[in-house]
Amino acid sequence: MTELVTKHPEPIHDVPAGNPTDNVWKLTWRVSQHRPRELWVGWSLFVVFFTMPAITGYFLARGYGALEGGDTTGTIWWAAAIAASETIRMIAIHHGALIWTKAWIHMQTLLRANMLSAQMASGGLHAGQPVGSAGSAVTHFRDDTEDVANFVDGMVDVSGGLVFTVIAGFVLGAADPNAALILILPLLGVGIATRVLDTRIKEYRAADRAATEGVTGLLGDVMAAATTVKVNDAAEPMLARLAVLVDRRRHTAVRDRVLEEGVQAFSKGAADVGLGLVLLVSAGAIASGSFDLATLALFTAYLGWLSFLPRMVGRVLARRKQAGVAFDRMSALVAEQAPTNTVRKRRLPIDPADKRTRSAVERPERVSLERLDVSGLSVAYDGRRVVSDVGFTVGRGEFVVITGPIGVGKSTLLRALLGLAWQADVTGSVRWNGREIEDRSAFLVPPNAAFLSQVPQLISDSVADNVALGPVDPVQLATALRLAAIADDIESMPAGADTLIGPRGLRLSGGQRQRLATARALVHAPELVVLDDLSSALDVETEVLLWTNLADAGMTVIAVSHREVAFRRADQVLRLEDGRIVGPAPRNSD
Amino acid sequence: MATQTATSGTRWRVLGALLRPDAWRWAGLGVLVAISSALLIAGPLVVRQIVDAATEGTTRADIVRLSLVFLAIAVVTQILAVIVVWSATIAAWRTTNDLRLTMTRHVLGLDHEFHRTHTPGELIQRVDGDITSVSDFLSTVVTKAAGAAMLIGGIIIVLTVLDWRLGLGMAVYVGLALVVIVQSRHRAVSESSDEMGALGRLYGGIEERLTAAEDLRANGAADHVAWRFVEDSEDALMSAVRRERAFLIMWWFVQGAVAAGWVIALVLGAVLVAAGTISLGTAFLLFQYVLLIARPLEEVVHELETVQKANGAMVRVVDLLDVRPKVLDEGDTNPPAGPLSIDVDAVHFDYGDDRPVLSHVDLHIGAGRSVGIVGRTGSGKTTFSRLVLRLVEPTSGGVALGGVPIADISLVELRRRVALVPQEVELFAGTVRDNVTLFDDQPTDAAVVEALHRVGLDALAAAGIDRALGAAGGGLSAGEAQLLALARVWLRDPDVLVLDEATARVDPQTEQRLEAAVVELMRGRTTLVIAHRLSTLHSVDEIIVFDHGLVVEHGDRGDLVGDDDSRFAQLLSISLDEEREPDGETASSEVTP
Repeated sequence: MTELVTKHPEPIHDVPAGNPTDNVWKLTWRVSQHRPRELWVGWSLFVVFFTMPAITGYFLARGYGALEGGDTTGTIWWAAAIAASETIRMIAIHHGALIWTKAWIHMQTLLRANMLSAQMASGGLHAGQPVGSAGSAVTHFRDDTEDVANFVDGMVDVSGGLVFTVIAGFVLGAADPNAALILILPLLGVGIATRVLDTRIKEYRAADRAATEGVTGLLGDVMAAATTVKVNDAAEPMLARLAVLVDRRRHTAVRDRVLEEGVQAFSKGAADVGLGLVLLVSAGAIASGSFDLATLALFTAYLGWLSFLPRMVGRVLARRKQAGVAFDRMSALVAEQAPTNTVRKRRLPIDPADKRTRSAVERPERVSLERLDVSGLSVAYDGRRVVSDVGFTVGRGEFVVITGPIGVGKSTLLRALLGLAWQADVTGSVRWNGREIEDRSAFLVPPNAAFLSQVPQLISDSVADNVALGPVDPVQLATALRLAAIADDIESMPAGADTLIGPRGLRLSGGQRQRLATARALVHAPELVVLDDLSSALDVETEVLLWTNLADAGMTVIAVSHREVAFRRADQVLRLEDGRIVGPAPRNSD
Repeated sequence: MATQTATSGTRWRVLGALLRPDAWRWAGLGVLVAISSALLIAGPLVVRQIVDAATEGTTRADIVRLSLVFLAIAVVTQILAVIVVWSATIAAWRTTNDLRLTMTRHVLGLDHEFHRTHTPGELIQRVDGDITSVSDFLSTVVTKAAGAAMLIGGIIIVLTVLDWRLGLGMAVYVGLALVVIVQSRHRAVSESSDEMGALGRLYGGIEERLTAAEDLRANGAADHVAWRFVEDSEDALMSAVRRERAFLIMWWFVQGAVAAGWVIALVLGAVLVAAGTISLGTAFLLFQYVLLIARPLEEVVHELETVQKANGAMVRVVDLLDVRPKVLDEGDTNPPAGPLSIDVDAVHFDYGDDRPVLSHVDLHIGAGRSVGIVGRTGSGKTTFSRLVLRLVEPTSGGVALGGVPIADISLVELRRRVALVPQEVELFAGTVRDNVTLFDDQPTDAAVVEALHRVGLDALAAAGIDRALGAAGGGLSAGEAQLLALARVWLRDPDVLVLDEATARVDPQTEQRLEAAVVELMRGRTTLVIAHRLSTLHSVDEIIVFDHGLVVEHGDRGDLVGDDDSRFAQLLSISLDEEREPDGETASSEVTP
């Protein structure tokens, strides 16, 4: 007998689940190693870019040394050396930035792909909990992935700054050890200030964002209710409230900006303060002439760069924390809510240089349906029973109609049957040809089963892509469109099945959307078709046509309907009330 | 609502008018910026003195004194920088907050028609988003540009005083660098909006697929979604690389200009020192000034974007302020006290096209009468109620309340006397009290509680009226929201009441409460009930039937019900059939004869 559960991927075990903050280094390492070539080449070029100022600064110092010595030709040579080293620096950043842009997107793409595939998986070990609101889930794909990439980015800056600082430290120490030592003070100050204030900035920014939401929230309410505000002559009290809110936001905005500027001023000022300290410490040497113009030029040139490392160390510490939070948030979308599942290895050929061939769509093996037995099926949400102990049997080619008033659990029953009721407690069994289906959400997909939900969702793609959700044989597509009674509509469209239907299919009428989604459920000639409430969007004639088509095609169908025309054709009519089957609905005996 | 795009003249006038009330603050800010630029210029001059002193031979104490001066300047400069940002941000937000309130008041005063054609999201963007761009411009660009101009000007003056050739050289250098950098920027902007488009498609696609997740899971679409995601990610990657390439060109120019400055300063210094024209200290000063000027050169790229955004925003602000309402507040006659009669005389209404929404409407509704208004969707009954509320003006003909033409009544008086209970009740993010009084502080708590009791919202009153309600009606059912809207009316105690009946399904218990509250509320007022379900029109005195913009029937309810040939009686029999349909699920709540 054929195995009913087809997908057995191995989960990752080597990184323990649990507190993601502990693993943030390991998780980030995995993300960074998704495309090692782009990462390491980009990284190396950036380190060169950050290190070159040490060389340019040295040439500058030698140039001013030659100038002080009255060697004009020497100065010009050193100036040429400066131009050369700056050119090298520019070439390094040119290639580095281009390749790093790719590395940056590759890292985010891996995280996005893992979240998206967990959300799209039809059951199996890698399916994640469905999210409540798609709008807010998108922030995981945009902001959280960026927080992780930012952490890696910060590490590049730190390593570049480190190499520069070591070289600069040696050069400055050789020129004037005392002056070099005194610089540690302001630089340490910058590091500590950045570390402390970066966290504070985040808090202030959150407060500012909340204050802004208060303003836009009230504005949105007022604009949406403009007529109510008008007829109640309530504009002035509303404006008074708005005045309070915008004033509050002014405070948060000012605080946010001033703190940010404060951090910048601190690190910019550190260079000047550092130079002042150097001059002070070396006053004697300057007076005696042993601290010459070359040394002064060296310190001046390096000081602008020296605050970079402490600033970046402070920043990267803050970013590590943000990356931890990001992993925490992203793991809500993946299987077992394990952060390790956000960094699963996968091939993502998104660079035009990558070879990309579309692999065949993976589907479970078709198991011809002889009999479907549902028994003792119960569904509860938070302990509240919605469906109680439902049982029925469907034979091959049968048409079963489920009916009942609104809110009695018809949709829930269908979802539970198909393994789509994620948030609910589902008990009971569903047997396919007498064999228990272990993972219903993985097995009950085309070609075994297909589902049409009550409010079907389409995507901004072509008609063909929406129906087939993958490559398809044109004959198969045409058949599905005909069965769903939408073939004529499609033919009259300018580009036929290649017509783009707009965001969420909004270029189509409600009835067309419903029938297109029906075609989607039929295209793979599934063994079992499950249709949730067609009648809400279809007129009676179309519904009759549809039932006739399905019967002619010999399909096995479970459908929710309220129409007499469906009851007349049905082999069984199950009437649901309060989550229970209260017996077959009265049949018309005409 | 045709508006002309604001000319740059009006734009600057508006900006000027905006800054005037805070003129002192802005002037003070200018002084601060000048001081801070002067200090920036002074620092390197001190170093120059140190270098020259060391060349000529000096004492350690002298150098220590100069170093302390330099240190003090460095500290004060940074403190000043923070103060400048602080006061610029305060001034910018104060100024633009006033503009926000002006704009909101203006938009709320615009016609119903304007709000019908502009989404709340768009209006938020124009009232808050655009003005925030202006605010960013005022708080950062204005001070930075002023600071940079003063810095560059000051440096050129200082150098000219030292040696006119140095001043001229610096002026030419800065001028060339600015021209080149600004020129190189244009391409970067277009590439960057390209990238935003690609990212928008990527995130939009993800959102769409997450919304459709259940359908996609149930139909085994994971592989297909993954494929499309890879395609969209490739677009995002390529557009990001293109954007980066364009930015790098700009980067080459900026960094090239800075490096060229170092080289020129060094070579020029060497030549002039060798010629004996300038001192060693002045040669080094040149180098320090090149370092100093690098920052504004690097920033100009970024700030030009802010300028462009603010410019576009100002145009839209002025355009919006130019939109004028058609309903003008020019009357000052008060209609008599008590319930008001409604007279409609030869009213015709259309939206400026050939399709009349109302035609030849002549009606008299006596003071204190209650009237049910029925008709299918688009028959004109809602427009009729808007005329009585003076949300729209008739194209021709007139409406009078209590014998006074409606345009002769001041809007404040009209709003006090005529109230509306809309079909869909909008709730505000605020307390229960805020939602009943619409943020008015005048009514006492006791009056609010009384109003809630009157409409049967005792539980809500008991839970405390300072409890917060969500914006989307958190904690209130559709029926309760309707009752809350009735409480608003109780508090206002109007003489004419327009009830746009709710179509939302409410449970039978709430429906009973609603009906009882409505009957109570109608007493002693002239009431128009726009009915969507005829079964609820038990208690009205008269019925008006609208069809295709015409009044096809007007009479006492009792008479019409008794007359089998009346339109109302026919409508009534159809609607009862509809509501009796099995399950009650497909029954339309709209009257469709």
